[in-house]
Amino acid sequence: MSHRYVYGVVDADDALEFETEAVAGAEKVYPITHRHFAALVSDIETTDPERTDEDAKRHDEVLREIMLSNGSRTVVPMRFGMVFENDRALKNVLRGADRAFRRSLREIDGTVELGLKIVAEESDEVDREAVCDAVADELEPLAVDAVDNGLFSDRLVLNRSYLVDRDERDAFDEAIGRIEDDYEELIIRYTGPFAPYSFVNVRVGAQ
Amino acid sequence: MFIIDDLLVRPFINIVDAIHTLALNEMYDVEAIEDELKENQLLFELGERSETEYRQRKAVLEEELAIAREVQEEFSSGRIEVKS
Repeated sequence: MSHRYVYGVVDADDALEFETEAVAGAEKVYPITHRHFAALVSDIETTDPERTDEDAKRHDEVLREIMLSNGSRTVVPMRFGMVFENDRALKNVLRGADRAFRRSLREIDGTVELGLKIVAEESDEVDREAVCDAVADELEPLAVDAVDNGLFSDRLVLNRSYLVDRDERDAFDEAIGRIEDDYEELIIRYTGPFAPYSFVNVRVGAQ
Repeated sequence: MFIIDDLLVRPFINIVDAIHTLALNEMYDVEAIEDELKENQLLFELGERSETEYRQRKAVLEEELAIAREVQEEFSSGRIEVKS
């Protein structure tokens, strides 16, 4: 019996179906719609998928395809591994979390998430505070919101995600370019665009 | 005399218990292992760790993480007791 692996939730008017390399070898992403919202899903044989690097990447890629196909689309992303036993269980969640989805879609409408990690070379001493202040001056005025993702390595100087309006994307890229010029001795790892995982607060229980 | 002995010895046992607890928490520190997993991924992405090194380290850390989670769960549920 196949189950439903969920990538994210969109406004029902934005629902779409496409062929792609999806999680666990699935080849098609399609919508399960209930009233205002559509969950974009693929079929899967297990309710407990293993988080391999390949499937984690496919999950991100599918969300990016959803976000960027036909210009732009706002999607409330789900974390890797959310599986529902059947359509009915999924529709129950779409109904129960109606308000939360509505609020999240409004908050992230027209935005993308961009990631920035700044890494020091091994044994280099860096004035973290000065770098963080300079980066904040460049980027925070261009972002709708920003969150800290934690310094999980001694070499990390900064690790943040930014919620950025699609219209500000070019200005944001240019600001990153200036940071790269100013800190040639540091490794600047700029990633995205991602669906705004770090800026939505919808927790739904898979069944 | 039993009461005096007990009063004198008890604080030392408490300290030993606390040290054992700290050592256990450090040995099975879920957050520290998760951080190491993220660092492993970062070093791979930066090209400072080969794919083989990355995959080997990841497998070891994932195993350690599963054990640490299990131990912490048992520990917090009181199923593991520190004996001194």
